[in-house]
Amino acid sequence: MLHTVARSTSKYSAIFRTQLLNSFAYPADLFSRSVSMILFMWIFLQLWRVTYGAVGMDAIAGMTLRETMWYLMITEMVILSKPRLVNNIATAVKDGSIAYLLNKPYNFILYQASVSLGDSILRMAANALMGGAVLWLTVGAPPGPSSWLPTLVAILLAWFIDFCLSALIGLLAFITEDISAFMWIYQKMILVMGGVLIPLDFFPDWLKNIALGMPFAYTTYAPARIFISPNPGTIASLLALQTVWLLVLGGLLATLYRRAEKWLSINGG
Amino acid sequence: MHMILHGTLFTCLPPYLVYLPFPPYNTLMPAITVQNLVKTFTSKRKAAGFTGSLRALTRPEYQTVEAVRGISFEMENGELVGFIGPNGAGKSTTIKILTGILNPSGGAAQVLGYIPWTQRRQLAYHIGTVFGQRPQLWYHLPAIDTFQLFGKIYEQDDKAIQQRIKFLAEAFEIEHLLETPVRKLSLGQRMRCEVAASLLHKPKLLLLDEPSIGLDVVAKQRIRDTVKRMAETEGVGVLLTSHDAGDIEALCKRVIIINHGSIVYQDKVSALKRNYLTSKLVGVRYAEKVPDNFTLDGVEILKTGQYGVKLQFDTRQTPVEYVISRLAEAGNLVDVTISDPSLEEVIRAIYENAE
Repeated sequence: MLHTVARSTSKYSAIFRTQLLNSFAYPADLFSRSVSMILFMWIFLQLWRVTYGAVGMDAIAGMTLRETMWYLMITEMVILSKPRLVNNIATAVKDGSIAYLLNKPYNFILYQASVSLGDSILRMAANALMGGAVLWLTVGAPPGPSSWLPTLVAILLAWFIDFCLSALIGLLAFITEDISAFMWIYQKMILVMGGVLIPLDFFPDWLKNIALGMPFAYTTYAPARIFISPNPGTIASLLALQTVWLLVLGGLLATLYRRAEKWLSINGG
Repeated sequence: MHMILHGTLFTCLPPYLVYLPFPPYNTLMPAITVQNLVKTFTSKRKAAGFTGSLRALTRPEYQTVEAVRGISFEMENGELVGFIGPNGAGKSTTIKILTGILNPSGGAAQVLGYIPWTQRRQLAYHIGTVFGQRPQLWYHLPAIDTFQLFGKIYEQDDKAIQQRIKFLAEAFEIEHLLETPVRKLSLGQRMRCEVAASLLHKPKLLLLDEPSIGLDVVAKQRIRDTVKRMAETEGVGVLLTSHDAGDIEALCKRVIIINHGSIVYQDKVSALKRNYLTSKLVGVRYAEKVPDNFTLDGVEILKTGQYGVKLQFDTRQTPVEYVISRLAEAGNLVDVTISDPSLEEVIRAIYENAE
């Protein structure tokens, strides 16, 4: 049993490492793509500076301009580093190339997770560097280092929750030919209900509660919120909710994938 | 360890729940057995235009396509078999069923003792695959990185895989290419790396799907020679699909020809040649001009030039000796070439007969 686990771990970590090497093949591309982070941060800064000025208060819902900006840096960093998983899976299903990914002794979903994580991590680092540099120069230093470790954990959990949701949408390609509508809805839900554009704390309570009852907030809001308020209570409850969502969605994905493997044998070819 | 596992498991579990920790095949068993394999695909049919789309929504019509219609064949361990047919004949559907990616609609199949579609992952450890149109090597990385990765994926021992890589690199003459990003290799070099990658885990069976597509003559020959040598020394069975009759001729002892989902011919390559390669092509050149009305009994004149003639005849009806001596008598011979029609033409004739 232990032996099997060890072999699987080294299998999937090798896949992850190979993708890391692959991403390093074009460092210039990696960094040029994260330049958009500078642009986004600059636009957000202008927007929120005006808003804070108009409101005439130092803090909105308890968040200062500096905190709001660092919050937005985390949410942007997370969504700009996403792998193109939905598209990849859907294309593989539609053109039948999934067949060529299935002829090796690994679990297809874990394979995708390893590749996608290797793809995301470097981009995330580049985005954090760019976005962080802009904010440090404009609004000042990030929150203290005590929140950094829980934020890293929350980012990882958030990444896996997004992976599950994206993979679930990708697998819909087995049932319906065009999944772009689902993808569009998912992206917009993240932008609004995930608190990417506006921190969820700025919402009226009823809307904030609805958002916190859906999985989207745990892919973006949770790590950003933990980063700016290292309050042990908030950290613990957000991490716990992330874990619950990850288990639920992971279970759903595993079940659906097993069904999809059977559909494949009917529709593929 | 295995003994203990068996002892306890067999007594307390129903047999279908026991996965054998070692492959269930033995060398006496055929590598592949296929019996009456059938695969039909169902797809939605949609009439053209907006009303057609509406009707497809409310009352969908389905059409079935029979990709494979009850084929049966066997392949021995270590045998080299060519599997050929035109596009859409059912070749790749069959290959996909044999690798466990597709469920058949009917019939039975065993590959190395496994039922592919229920034991896909176990089977995957023992077969190697190369798809000429689908590179498996990571495009931006040197081949050695993919080799190491495959070592992990196939759960090979680290030390053993290093030796294996060294061995295969020599066999395929790719030692000097291993550290170059795959995208910078020529197609021929890349294909040698692809085939080497498929042999890393010492598979018992190699499925080669169009391995020589797009390669030049020299590169093709190199791949063929190495595959043949590897198959012979390691006892690997090879099932090769190709459009190139040359691949089959150079590599395979036996050939299965499939068309419209059915097997139309199945025999040794030598028998195929003996039965179908009965005609000869002859070209002659003379020192003096050839008359326009040049004829010869039992021979078909293909082309008459100023100094030369091209002709074809069936050796079962007209002896070679007769034709050559007549040609020699006709004038001052400068040059003679005699050739067989290509296997390609033979296969085309078989397809046409089957239709």
